[in-house]
Amino acid sequence: MYAFLDKTAGFLARTTALIGGIVLLLLVAMTCLSITGRSLSFIGLNQIKGDFELMELGVGFVIFSFLPWAQYSGGHARVDLFATVMPLWMNRLADVASDLLLLAIAVIVGWRLWLGMLDKKSYGETTFILQWPVWEAYLSGLLGMSVFVIVALFCTLRSTRSLLGGTP
Amino acid sequence: MSNIEIGLWSFPVLLVLLFLRVPIGPAMALIGFGGTWLVTGTPMMTLSQLKNLTFGTFANYSLSIIPLFLLMGQFATISGMSRGLFKAAEAWLGHLKGGIAMAAVGACAGFGSICGSSLATAATMGQVALPELRRYGYSGRLATGALAAGGTLGILIPPSVVLVIYAILTEQNIAKLFVAAMIPGLLAAFGYMVTIAIMVRIQDGGGQVLDRQPILARFKALIAVWPVLTIFLVVVGGIYLGVFTPTEAAAIGAAGTAIVALVSGQLGWTNTAEAILGTAKSTGMIFMIILGASLFNNFLALTQLPQNTAQWVGAQGFSPWFVLAVVLVLYLVFGCIMDSLSMILLTVPIFYPIMAGLDFGMAPDDFGLWFGILVLIVVEVGLITPPVGMNLFIINALAKDTPISETFRGTLPFVIADLVRVVILTLLPALTLGLVWAIY
Repeated sequence: MYAFLDKTAGFLARTTALIGGIVLLLLVAMTCLSITGRSLSFIGLNQIKGDFELMELGVGFVIFSFLPWAQYSGGHARVDLFATVMPLWMNRLADVASDLLLLAIAVIVGWRLWLGMLDKKSYGETTFILQWPVWEAYLSGLLGMSVFVIVALFCTLRSTRSLLGGTP
Repeated sequence: MSNIEIGLWSFPVLLVLLFLRVPIGPAMALIGFGGTWLVTGTPMMTLSQLKNLTFGTFANYSLSIIPLFLLMGQFATISGMSRGLFKAAEAWLGHLKGGIAMAAVGACAGFGSICGSSLATAATMGQVALPELRRYGYSGRLATGALAAGGTLGILIPPSVVLVIYAILTEQNIAKLFVAAMIPGLLAAFGYMVTIAIMVRIQDGGGQVLDRQPILARFKALIAVWPVLTIFLVVVGGIYLGVFTPTEAAAIGAAGTAIVALVSGQLGWTNTAEAILGTAKSTGMIFMIILGASLFNNFLALTQLPQNTAQWVGAQGFSPWFVLAVVLVLYLVFGCIMDSLSMILLTVPIFYPIMAGLDFGMAPDDFGLWFGILVLIVVEVGLITPPVGMNLFIINALAKDTPISETFRGTLPFVIADLVRVVILTLLPALTLGLVWAIY
């Protein structure tokens, strides 16, 4: 059962990060095209309309989709000064507490992002140049946040299991 | 408890959380949330901020440079350029006593010019240069020390993720900051080489000396690394000349390093996925810290602690140089336990207003650049000081036969070189600002 959950959480985090990465690569390509267009304006080409906005909204999506992987792979920076001094159970307890905190953050941030999205939708706010509805960009962030909540749940289970004497 | 007291108390509480190994970003978020709750008596203020704060922080044009630079560094790592850089530096320096270690430092500097992260630079160059250094008979102490120190050039030489964050926090011009970092970065590489020259003479950890290469062969080896030079010139030159924005430059750099990796046949699906996941891990960590820091700083601003501290320091009539020295020493101390980015995000919003209020006899913009470079250097020293200097552990993990205590000892001379450089750059601001004045 645990192995299945681990596999699922890992798969979700990894896939979400890879989707984000592909979008990031597309943004790189878009920027290069846009700059090429801009520098060839003498033959009538031009930069991609709203390239700054695309970059901004795109990277927003990318970062939300990177969060689950950073959590799953234990990427968050910590101060390990006392790690070797603290007994094993204390280190593991700290891991559980940290994972619970991250879970709380994932839930709260996701919940508020949802409400923020509803606000933007009711105002009908759009971006300046592309006239893109801002709430859709918020919605794209919710994809990453939902996976983040699931992965954070699993990570809490994972660290609780090691605390209770399961496999490390 | 008054608001200022709540603000003051938040620091020991934060430190306790950090020492208990709570990740830095989430810990700052928790204190920011709890602190604001205490001050305002309700959680609603932070909760309503969070409706737009997270999205606004993540979808931000200036900050989008960070994942792009990280991606660029990841592609640079798999592109195989590190080997060419090492060979080129070896052709120029290999005939000197300790020359191969110097070449490793030189190659780190070269790699640092296309990679904004010290850890990536240390890991990449370590893999290439460490086996060579050992093969030529360098002691584990000198080899790991030089490479750990050389790795810090990843951040000291632009592009640099930490400088980008500093620029955004203090509203400095990123292009000017990169220019300002050039001479101090080269000075760092030079200082490390001098350190090696001294160490091989007094400690004899140096190995074999290679034959002097003819000038033609040297240039040939240099030409072989033209992609690195080109990418660096396009990225950094393009920002200086205003041809494109820093974010665009980072995108071009990522494309450039990706193309080099593709041409060298390294950009298969597995490597690309690894590069993406590596970028995702660091980016997720950094933005979690940025989010936590902005909650924490919003809370501090609410308590008016930064403003009051700045006023208090201003009213004491301390010598500006004394205050600067205290701040730099604080950074050195905290650098030993915290990573540089968290430290910058946590402290610059507090220290910068204090420092900017003091009179160092220079224009405010110049001061911002100069202070940024000094802070950058002192926080990077933390990467090569025990007990938590990450570069030490990365390099030591590659050198199986060298105990970590040897690596600690081997790095010490380079720490001294860093400290000497901080003093020089503090006393001679023109070294940092000269190039900025000349270009702008």
